[in-house]
Amino acid sequence: MSEKGGSLLLAEFDAKFPYDYSAGRYASYFLKQLKDHKRIMGIRCPKCQKVFVPPRPACGYCFVRNTEWVDMGDEGTLWGYTIVQFPFLDPMTGVERPIPYGYGFIELKGATTRLQHFVTAADLNKLRIGMRMKAVFREERKGNLADILYFKAIEE
Amino acid sequence: MDNWLEGLEPIVDHQDLKVPYRYSMGAITSKFFIEIRDHKKILGIKCPQCNVVFVPPRSTCGRCFSLLKEWVEVSNRGTLQTYTVVHYPTPVQPVPPPLIYGIIKLDGADTGLAHLISETDYERLSIGMRVEAVFKEERAGNMLDIKYFKSI
Repeated sequence: MSEKGGSLLLAEFDAKFPYDYSAGRYASYFLKQLKDHKRIMGIRCPKCQKVFVPPRPACGYCFVRNTEWVDMGDEGTLWGYTIVQFPFLDPMTGVERPIPYGYGFIELKGATTRLQHFVTAADLNKLRIGMRMKAVFREERKGNLADILYFKAIEE
Repeated sequence: MDNWLEGLEPIVDHQDLKVPYRYSMGAITSKFFIEIRDHKKILGIKCPQCNVVFVPPRSTCGRCFSLLKEWVEVSNRGTLQTYTVVHYPTPVQPVPPPLIYGIIKLDGADTGLAHLISETDYERLSIGMRVEAVFKEERAGNMLDIKYFKSI
């Protein structure tokens, strides 16, 4: 806590912010399907047919209620990414994720929107936009987005 | 149409955000805590122009902007200026509720020090009540080296 004997003190501590996130009905269903069946669910607008992943209660384009759930499968396309080289605290866990790692947008097959998640490949430097990606799930799933560990590039 | 809602349990995800933090206390606050840590003495600092004694000490007078250098020892007893009783638990409180936060004007000081009040029946709290600092056995050089103030 402080340097004994010195005339200047330094306090070191962890400020803790425990946090309960109420997912709501749509995200609860999404997370439940993810946890129980490793299914990534999207939702389709009955009017414009756009498919939203992650799901949202209303279509942002036509302002109608989304009702039709769609199983998106676990494959998609890398739409954009970055390689993180600077370590920082993961707000979900409070610990640093080891660097380097990839973070990107994945367009699941049939989806209108893109899902943000960790992305990886056998060689991280060979990640490219347009690559086909596959979700890798956590063994013991807990009903949060980290039940998907990351999306990994499919080796061609 | 909405049968997916049947039996759906709402999910509440618990997360723990932690922010590691280093606070450099500076010369004035360091001396204040070192005296408490090593000698259980509470120091204030006196303004040469308006004679106000600040506890906790600060480097400049907020009223006349004089630089403050004159240390004075104040009593570990004082008067409760105001207080609140906290019944609502949150995970970031220093002690479990019910807990009392008070502002204490120590004898010899002109400003109030915010701290915990304990060993006191909260229904008998009153403004103007006399209180005394209780020091921790193992002191580390921070505000909780004073465990709390108790009624005399």
